[in-house]
Amino acid sequence: MSVEAFVRARQPEWRRLAALLDASERLPIGELGAARLAELVRLYRQVASDLNEARSYTANPELLGSLNDLVGRGYRFVYRRSHARRWREATRRLFTAEIPRSFYAARASVVTASCAFLVGVVVGGGAVLAERGNAERLIPSDFFTESPRERVERIESSEERIVSVGDAAAFGAMLYTHNIQVSFLAFAAGALTLVGGFVLLFYNGAILGALAACYWLDGVQGFFFAWVGPHGALELPAIVFGAAAGLRLGRALWLPGDVAEPAALRAALPEVARMLVATIVVLVLAGLIEGSFSQFTGRTFPHTLKTAVAVLLFMLLMAWLFVRRGAHED
Amino acid sequence: MRLIPAGPGRRFIALLLDASCAIAVAAALTLPLRFVLPPAALQAAAVTLSFVVGWGWYVLFEAFGQGRTPGKQLLGLRVVDSRGLPLTLEQALVRNVVRALDFAPVFYGLGAFVSQSDTWRRRLGDLAADTLVIRESREFEALGELRRSDEFNSLRTPRVLRLVRRRVSMEEAELLLALTLRADQLGDAARYDLLESVGRHYREKLELGELPISGRALVQGLASLVIGERRPSSRRLGSRR
Repeated sequence: MSVEAFVRARQPEWRRLAALLDASERLPIGELGAARLAELVRLYRQVASDLNEARSYTANPELLGSLNDLVGRGYRFVYRRSHARRWREATRRLFTAEIPRSFYAARASVVTASCAFLVGVVVGGGAVLAERGNAERLIPSDFFTESPRERVERIESSEERIVSVGDAAAFGAMLYTHNIQVSFLAFAAGALTLVGGFVLLFYNGAILGALAACYWLDGVQGFFFAWVGPHGALELPAIVFGAAAGLRLGRALWLPGDVAEPAALRAALPEVARMLVATIVVLVLAGLIEGSFSQFTGRTFPHTLKTAVAVLLFMLLMAWLFVRRGAHED
Repeated sequence: MRLIPAGPGRRFIALLLDASCAIAVAAALTLPLRFVLPPAALQAAAVTLSFVVGWGWYVLFEAFGQGRTPGKQLLGLRVVDSRGLPLTLEQALVRNVVRALDFAPVFYGLGAFVSQSDTWRRRLGDLAADTLVIRESREFEALGELRRSDEFNSLRTPRVLRLVRRRVSMEEAELLLALTLRADQLGDAARYDLLESVGRHYREKLELGELPISGRALVQGLASLVIGERRPSSRRLGSRR
């Protein structure tokens, strides 16, 4: 058979398959109908066979490329995952079962990331407690326009910074969008280099430790914990979670073990994606709290109350993610 | 089935198109809010919408649009799993989160560098999510433009047919077919020069002498001959001497 005759004979089926695939991409799968679905699957098998046959007749890149693409589209349709979703049920299941299960499964990465961060806190805090001058080496200069004691006195004696819901929302939006992007960077650095994630965690921990030590040395640590605590109880773990998700993915990329790297990646991706979703949600909450509740002075909300709220938020977060329940056993 | 990785040029243009669309959509969503929200709340809404649309654009279109954002669709590109399967939501999320690192140090410098170094043109996000951006070729409608072999053709003599069978290989036959199909995509001067050059080559190779036809007519005539003379693979069209 000549190539031209082959094309003339088969082209109507190729066009029909292309039309069915176009329809499948436009319509929900339920609206395609059983008859068209069966025809699509049959034509996909036929066209895959035509591609093999065409390769024996010709090396024409136009023909083979077009057939290759058509078979590729058919392949992606036939082997795709089900898209049937009930969004409300899926979202509920995501937050009540799948995210906690993913964190529990990735607890080794979370513990490792937490340790890197805490080591940074200890090193940063220890360095400043040993010698006050180390603070200026560790902490960005923006924090040194005044001493901690001067800052506390200024804030506690001035008007409340946040006077409306709009102000709180605006400030919170800037905070959580910034923090989410920083966590994306930490995730990517951890996933692609492993070392990068550890360095970022240690560095952030060191800054926090150094800052806390500065306030401690000035005798205003109560203000510090009340100021950082309510949002920090969520934000700091979220930073760790983002980096932990990156380390989890990085382990699949760089240390897949006995499994081939692509398979290890694909196995890790659902877990990692759920950890990222949780990180984003927690950072949004943290940003809103930082933009509102955290900003209030001791005159409005006593420091002990803000610190207690911080402890409660931290415990709730840990309970959501790590306390095993019946749902974890799915 | 083969996957053809998309080149950086097309990907970059698709990226610019998508970024422009995302900015326009975010602005369009924010504009009506100016009339209903106070300034501080408007700022919160604008910042949030810009963030959600900017990041969510790629994730949602790639996950639910068969791997194609509007920009990619216009440029004939598609994001797929490395095995050619459709992209999952998890893959779409991870490859776009890592975009934060691809963007470093300025406007995808790192991502472009990595993509140029990779055989499959993957940026960092593709490496992390095990995905590819492929290029989909055009439809096969162009095959209908091939000249029918029974039209008049001054080259269709027994001597020329014999020489074509002996001296024109399958690869050369495909080249002649491709030239015939694609010549109109060239500019006038480029098309003329190219076809005259190819025509001169085959005048000499097939000993056609001073046959009074143009290079274009010669190439088209030869392409028509090779279509008509095509045999199954057990009998090759010709072999080089």
